[in-house]
Amino acid sequence: MKRDLATPMLAGAAARPAGLGSGTPLLLDGITHRYGSAVAVNNVSLVIAPGELVALLGPSGCGKTTLLRIIAGLLRQTDGHVKIDECVVDALPPNERGAGIVFQNYALFPHMTVEQNLGYGLRARSAPRGQIVETVDRMLRLVKMEALRNRFPRELSGGQQQRVALARTLAVAPRVLLLDEPFAALDKNLRLDMQIEVKRIQRELSITTIMVTHDQEEALSMADRVAVMDGGRVEQFAPPESIYDRPESLFVARFIGTANLVPGQLRMGASGASFAPTVGGYLSLSVARPCSRSGAAVLSVRPEHWLLMPASADEGLAATVRMVLPLGPTVVNELELADGTPIKVTTVRTATGERLQPGEAVRIGLAPHAAVAVFQG
Amino acid sequence: MSAVALPISAARARAPWRREWQLALPLGLFFAAFVFFPLLLLGYVSLHAEPTLQQHSLAQYVKFFGDSFNWRVLGNTLLLGLQVTLVALVIGYPVAYLYSVSGRRVQQLLIFLVLLPLLTSAVVRTFAWIVILGRQGIINNALLEWGVIEAPLRLLYTPWAVTIALAQIELALMVLPLITALGHIDPNLAHASRALGAGRWQTFFQVTLPLSTPGLLAGCLLVFAAAVSAFVTQTLVGGGQQLFMPFYIYQQAVQVNDYPFAATIAMALLLSVLAIVTAVNILGRRSKGFVHG
Repeated sequence: MKRDLATPMLAGAAARPAGLGSGTPLLLDGITHRYGSAVAVNNVSLVIAPGELVALLGPSGCGKTTLLRIIAGLLRQTDGHVKIDECVVDALPPNERGAGIVFQNYALFPHMTVEQNLGYGLRARSAPRGQIVETVDRMLRLVKMEALRNRFPRELSGGQQQRVALARTLAVAPRVLLLDEPFAALDKNLRLDMQIEVKRIQRELSITTIMVTHDQEEALSMADRVAVMDGGRVEQFAPPESIYDRPESLFVARFIGTANLVPGQLRMGASGASFAPTVGGYLSLSVARPCSRSGAAVLSVRPEHWLLMPASADEGLAATVRMVLPLGPTVVNELELADGTPIKVTTVRTATGERLQPGEAVRIGLAPHAAVAVFQG
Repeated sequence: MSAVALPISAARARAPWRREWQLALPLGLFFAAFVFFPLLLLGYVSLHAEPTLQQHSLAQYVKFFGDSFNWRVLGNTLLLGLQVTLVALVIGYPVAYLYSVSGRRVQQLLIFLVLLPLLTSAVVRTFAWIVILGRQGIINNALLEWGVIEAPLRLLYTPWAVTIALAQIELALMVLPLITALGHIDPNLAHASRALGAGRWQTFFQVTLPLSTPGLLAGCLLVFAAAVSAFVTQTLVGGGQQLFMPFYIYQQAVQVNDYPFAATIAMALLLSVLAIVTAVNILGRRSKGFVHG
């Protein structure tokens, strides 16, 4: 069994030129995992396309790492199936799944050099010596670590360790690449470099990749699609723009970016939807979604989708300016509605440097084509 | 800090060089008075030609190393230490490994079972082995009862009885450093190895075992040093069938009253053990760097 699976993977690694890989589809079907009575992962189903980079995004304890370990085969799910390339792999141990995992702390073998670390997987599969040498060289080039091949992990910086960890996993030509909080241990400048680097390598090999992260910028910038998780469930699985512009649940709206939440009443009329905030005023909506039923509702508006108007305007909501924070190219205006609901409005800084003053009364409306979301209240 | 330095850590502790060294003063004075001074005295006594301690000479050393009987006793003693160490390692490593992969409750139970024998004296544990292995002992009675044997087996007073009994008695000294070393290994390393295609045994021999080397060496040294000098167990379970260095020293000192020769035997044992400990420590220092990568 072991031989059967290992051999074609190795053959593929040797024969497939970089950049022409076809990728492997991955399917999660109703995955549930319980630790005792606690449900860590609750009925998660995802269909992941070949070569796609998917981010599992959520707060700590949302079950994303548990899900990753289930895919890797380090943990056996209570219920549901994992399919890699159309095959159910539930009963297979990690070494026979063809899923390569890079751990958050990299888990490099401290008693082996960079070269030995990279060759570990192939040695474990008893690959011929020539192939090991060839693959190790290719991986060292891929992650640009040729000069440091004889170093021990403790002699490497965080970014270098991560390159080695990634190359070590890629050396066995996994069908699916799993990254557990891959950039969490890196400082901010290095993180961006490594994100670009990983994305480049992922594209080059066109390898199906799942990345676990709690950093929304990282998820939105790197992933083809993002699965936002909370309490063991997938709240939304969509491309980054949809996650940001069209959140499907209140959790997603609040978790991703900044959302101004305004309670009120949704009214669906013949001419369109409108929203009447509890504090008074009126906002007409081009589209009401995901909730489109009249009644108590919460409106979620991104700070950049508000329009600031003079207090004399006859539409929108009345608000008072509390604080004005110029942040380089944009200005964040902290407002407050009549009932104390805080509202953030970002505006582009004007050349004249003119800005609102604290205490000033204004009215706010929705910008044209504002992406707003309505949730049942 | 690695457990490998345990036997000599007091001398090597790197405290900031201000006044804190004074904290080690009581222990230092205690050691000076009751360990180093007696050792010097021992060395001094061994350098005399006759029990009356009148003439300085190396005669005792010439006598000791000139007689193949003495070499045999020394060899037997070191061999016993080696055997006990190997048995303790074979029994102790799985226990320590089990501890490192168990949940909290099992860990508490295991550590209790490992420490329990330490709460009784070596003499009591030795007598327990006599009860188990004796002609009328538990093993012989059980085997007779079940009809496996017709007459009681000779278990006590055999070389293997000494080895097994000592291995059990010193087991905690092996298990505790191993538990420490295994506890310092990142569990993700084993996961990474498995995910990279290595099987369980491969993972153990390539990753877990090499990374637990410092604890393994420390455990071996402790057990070895304890086993070669375990006077009570060697004597009572061995029953005088084999002569080991500690009893030999006792015999020469107390029964024959030849203090210079007894001191020479002691020095020979001391220097042999010291040489082995030093060699293993040099070996250990090489592997130590890997633990905290």
